[in-house]
Amino acid sequence: MRKMLAVALGVLTAIGGFVDIGDLVTNAVVGSRFGMSLVWVVVVGVVGICLFASMAGRVAAVSGRATFEIIRERLGPRAAGANLVASFAINLLTLTAEIGGITLALHLASSVEPRLWIPVAALAVWLVLWRVKFQVLENVAGLMGLLLVGFAVALFLLGPDWGELLRQAVPPSAPGNEHPAAYWYYAVALFGAAMTPYEVFFFSSGAVEERWTSKDLATNRLNVMVGFPLGGLLSVAIAACAAVVLLPAGIEVSSLSQIVLPVAQAGGVLLLAVVIVGIVAATFGAALETALSSGYTMAQYLGWSWGKFRRPARAARFHVTMIVAVLLAVGILMTSVDPIAVTEMSVVFSAVALPLTYVPILVVANDPEYMGEHVNGRVMNALGGVYLLIVVVAAVAAVPLMIATGAGS
Amino acid sequence: MTDRGTRGEVRLVDARLHLLSRQVLDSDGEPVRTVDDLELAGPDGGEARAGQEAHVSAILVGPALALRLFGGRAPTSRLPHIAWEDVGHLGTAIELTVPSDGLDADWVEHWLRDRLVGRIPGGRRDPEAGS
Amino acid sequence: MTISTGGRRVAAGAVALAVGLAGAGCTVASRQEPGQATAAVADALAEAGSAAETTRLTVELLDQGRVTGPVADTALLDQLRVLDDAESALTTLVPPDAASSGHRAAGLTAVGDVSDVVVSAREWVAARSGGDLDDAVAVPADADELLAELGAVTAAVDAALAEAGGR
Repeated sequence: MRKMLAVALGVLTAIGGFVDIGDLVTNAVVGSRFGMSLVWVVVVGVVGICLFASMAGRVAAVSGRATFEIIRERLGPRAAGANLVASFAINLLTLTAEIGGITLALHLASSVEPRLWIPVAALAVWLVLWRVKFQVLENVAGLMGLLLVGFAVALFLLGPDWGELLRQAVPPSAPGNEHPAAYWYYAVALFGAAMTPYEVFFFSSGAVEERWTSKDLATNRLNVMVGFPLGGLLSVAIAACAAVVLLPAGIEVSSLSQIVLPVAQAGGVLLLAVVIVGIVAATFGAALETALSSGYTMAQYLGWSWGKFRRPARAARFHVTMIVAVLLAVGILMTSVDPIAVTEMSVVFSAVALPLTYVPILVVANDPEYMGEHVNGRVMNALGGVYLLIVVVAAVAAVPLMIATGAGS
Repeated sequence: MTDRGTRGEVRLVDARLHLLSRQVLDSDGEPVRTVDDLELAGPDGGEARAGQEAHVSAILVGPALALRLFGGRAPTSRLPHIAWEDVGHLGTAIELTVPSDGLDADWVEHWLRDRLVGRIPGGRRDPEAGS
Repeated sequence: MTISTGGRRVAAGAVALAVGLAGAGCTVASRQEPGQATAAVADALAEAGSAAETTRLTVELLDQGRVTGPVADTALLDQLRVLDDAESALTTLVPPDAASSGHRAAGLTAVGDVSDVVVSAREWVAARSGGDLDDAVAVPADADELLAELGAVTAAVDAALAEAGGR
C-alpha cells in the first residue's frame, strides 16, 4: 500500500512537473496561430523526454553519479567547460523566464504590478531552496502543478468540434496564412519546450539526492513513462483551448492573460482561479528546478559538494551558486524585459543546447564501465539514434529559423 | 604510474584517464574538488625533467584549471594543491585520508561557509532531520 | 611543471551563443521596399486586430461574470502594450511610395482608434470593480456600448488591413 502510494505520488508529480512556463506559453501561442497542426511535435517531444529522462535516471541510479560529473570525465575539461557555459546560460534564461512567469501569474491574481512581485517571488524561491527538504519541495510543487488540469477541464466544457480539432492535427500542415518558416520555427520551439535540458540535470541529480539504486529503476521508468505523457496531454489541452477560442477570433497570444481567457470562458471565475494557482505552482516548481540545476551543473563540473541533502554549510559553494543565479535572474527581470519574450527565447535556445546534454547521456548509458549490466538495450539504442538525429537537426535549424522569421513574427 | 593496491600487487593507472577530471573525496566521503591538474616531481623531489623518472607529487585544483584551459603559467607552489601523500585509494573517485576541513586547497568552501552561508539563519541546519 | 599546461580557446560555444542572442534582437520594423512597407503595415494591423478581439472577449467575459476584475484589467493592459508596439512600428516606418504612405496613415488612425476603445474599456473595468469613476463622462455605460464601439474600430482595422493586402 505504501509502495503504491509512493508510485502514485511519483507519477502525479511527473505530470504536474511537466508543464512549465515554456510549455504554457509556446503551446498557447502555437494553438492560437497554428491550431492543432503542431500537436505531432508535442508527441515527438514527449517520447524524447521519456527516453532521455529515463536514461539519465538510470545512469544516476546505477552509477550513483550525476550527469555533469560524467560529462566532464568523458569529454575532458575543455569540451565539458564549453558545455557548462552554454548549459548554465540557458538554464539561467529559463530560470529568469520561470520567475517572470510567477510574477505574471501573481499579477493576474492581484493586479499588483509584476515588477513589485519580482523580489517577493525570488525570495520565496530562495527560502524554499534554503530550508525545504528535497522530497517535500519536489512533491508539493508537482502536486500543485496538477491544478493545470483545469485546461483539460476547460476544453471539455468548451465542447469543441472534436472532429475539426483532429482534422487540424492529422495530417499536419501549416494554416494557409502562415509562412512555412514560421511553422517550422514554432515546431523547433515546441520541441525545445517539451525537452528542456534542465529537466535532465534535475532528474539525474534528483536521483542522487533521493539515493536511488538499481532497485528503484522500475519506479523511475513508471514515473517517466506514465507521468510525462499525461503531462504532455496537459500541453495539448493548453494548445487546444487556444485553438478553440483564440484562433477563430484572430487573437495572437502575446501575454499570459490571453492564455487564461479560454479557461474563463469555459469555467468561469472558479476554474480561472484554479488555473492561475496552477500556473503559479508550475512556474514556481520549475523555478526551483532550474535554480537547483544551475547549482548542480556548476558543482558537478568543478567537483564541489552539492545537494539539498547536505546542510547548506556543508555545500556552501553550491548554495552560493544558486543564490547568484536567482539574483542574476532578478537583475534581468528588473530591466523590465517582457518575461514572455524571455520564455520564447529560452525554449528556442533550449533546442539549440539539447545535443550538449543528450549526446553524453547516450554515450554513458552505453558504457559498461558505469552501467554494468544496465547498459542500453537494442531498442533503446535504436530510439536513441533516431532522437540523436532529431535533436541535432532541431539544434542546427533553430537559430537560422529564428533569424529568418524574425523570431516567429 | 603505479599504485600499490590493498593486496600489494601493482596496478597500472593512466593519469589522463584515471586521474584527471576525477572527483576527489575526503576521508568522510565528502566531495572536495575535481582533479584539475597534476604536479610532477623528479626523483629527488625537485623539478621534473624530460627523460628522467618522475612521479605525481600533488593534485592541483582551482586556478590550475584556468591555466589548463586558457594557457599560461604560474609557479606551481602558488596553486592550491593536495599532497599526494594524502591520497588513500584510487577508485572511480580519488579518496583522501584527511578530512576536507584541514585542506588549504578547499579554502573557498571554508571561507564561504564561515563568512556567508553558515551565518545565514538555518545555514547549519540538517535538512533531512524533519522539516 | 604540470601535465598539459598548454591551453587552447574554449570560448567558441559562448561566442556562438552571444551572436545568436544578438541576432535574435535584430528585427527592425522599418523596411524599405514598397511591398515590404505594406507588409509591415499589415503586420501591425494584424496585431491591432488581435488586441481588439482580445478586448472584446475580455469585456464579454467580465460582463458575464466569468472573469475577475484583476484578470480583465491585466488583459487590457497587455493589449495596450501590444497596440503601443503596433503604433511604434507604424510611426517608425519610412514609406517608400505614396501607396504605402496611405496605408500607413490609415493604419495609424485605425490603431489609434482601437487604443482609445481599450482605454475606455479599462475605465469601464475599473468602474465595475468598484472604482470611484461614476462621474467620469468618458466611462461607457455598459458592455453593449463598449462592444458596439469595438465592432466599429475592428471593422476599421479590417478595412485598413484589406487595403494593405493583409489576411
